Amino acid sequence: GACRVSISMTEIRAGFTAIKTNIQSRDPIRTLSILSHPHSLHKVKSSDRCCITYQLFTFYVDKVFKHCRTEDSFVNRKISSIANSFLSTRRKLGQCREQNNCLCGEESTEKFKQILANYEGLNVTSAAMKSLGELDILLDWMEKSR
Amino acid sequence: VLGGAALLPAPQSISILSTNMKHFLTWSPVIVQGATVRYSVEFQGEYEREYANGSWIPISECSLTTATVCNLTEDISATVAYKLRVRAELGATRSQWGTTKGFFNRAMTSLTPPLLRAVADGHHLLVELADMGPSFQFWVLYWRKGQESRVQQKVVKEVSSVVHLDTMEAGAEYCVKAQTHVEAINRSSSFSPTQCVRAQGDTS
Repeated sequence: GACRVSISMTEIRAGFTAIKTNIQSRDPIRTLSILSHPHSLHKVKSSDRCCITYQLFTFYVDKVFKHCRTEDSFVNRKISSIANSFLSTRRKLGQCREQNNCLCGEESTEKFKQILANYEGLNVTSAAMKSLGELDILLDWMEKSR
Repeated sequence: VLGGAALLPAPQSISILSTNMKHFLTWSPVIVQGATVRYSVEFQGEYEREYANGSWIPISECSLTTATVCNLTEDISATVAYKLRVRAELGATRSQWGTTKGFFNRAMTSLTPPLLRAVADGHHLLVELADMGPSFQFWVLYWRKGQESRVQQKVVKEVSSVVHLDTMEAGAEYCVKAQTHVEAINRSSSFSPTQCVRAQGDTS
């Protein structure tokens, strides 16, 4: 069956919008993208969407948010809000995986490998801040592919 | 006033009041004769516990506050387990942290029935619903009195001032009741009391 998970997109989007300008201003390398290089997320087949979503949520939870602490209390609070929402959503996606409703095809595996390579090509703080700044790319893709 | 290394007691009776997805931390005041004690609040979500070395995040609106209540709503914005803590501060002296017993998850919020007003506007059955914020949907049930087996439902996702439910038969009586639903925690309130109104004109 399909993986049906309710995601508080409105809350995540609101949290990100509140800090987007601040976060993106900390990203000096504007010519390179972590999520969209070399191919856009929109090229991922529908059958692979659940898996790439799970992998990306895991990527943000495991690798990105912890390296995004700032000197700004407001920004830190919003990052915490997004991180905890990602954690809660990843858990639901994980339940789909356990029921084999979130299978990983070759394409999503390849796409995720590329994202990790893009990430590891930068120093960790720059990579984390850039990834956080690209959250709207992920949110746009998720909303379009609902 | 406290002298030297005298200890400032930690706040006691720390609890969370949560109704309709609005969450407040409260605690008992720390009394020091002739002095104004201030308080600072921090929160920790499941993410901070599991992935950020158990770090705590200060809530600036509740830093060095003299109030004994703190609005957590903006920060408790994910459906995971949170911990809260508060300490007293008097000049350079700080108390130990007082921490909530157990965890708080917004799924535990208490949901009250919506405030509604049924309106007969000529032949039109309308309902007015009090706005409760972006997290809330309203499930409105309505039926013609005496035809309880033919209840109809309308889901109202965004509250405008008035919602049109149905066109009524002249002189007939129609009834309405509603409950709230919060998708983020997948829970609903109990139903509001039923309200009935009569359409204009004579029954045919």
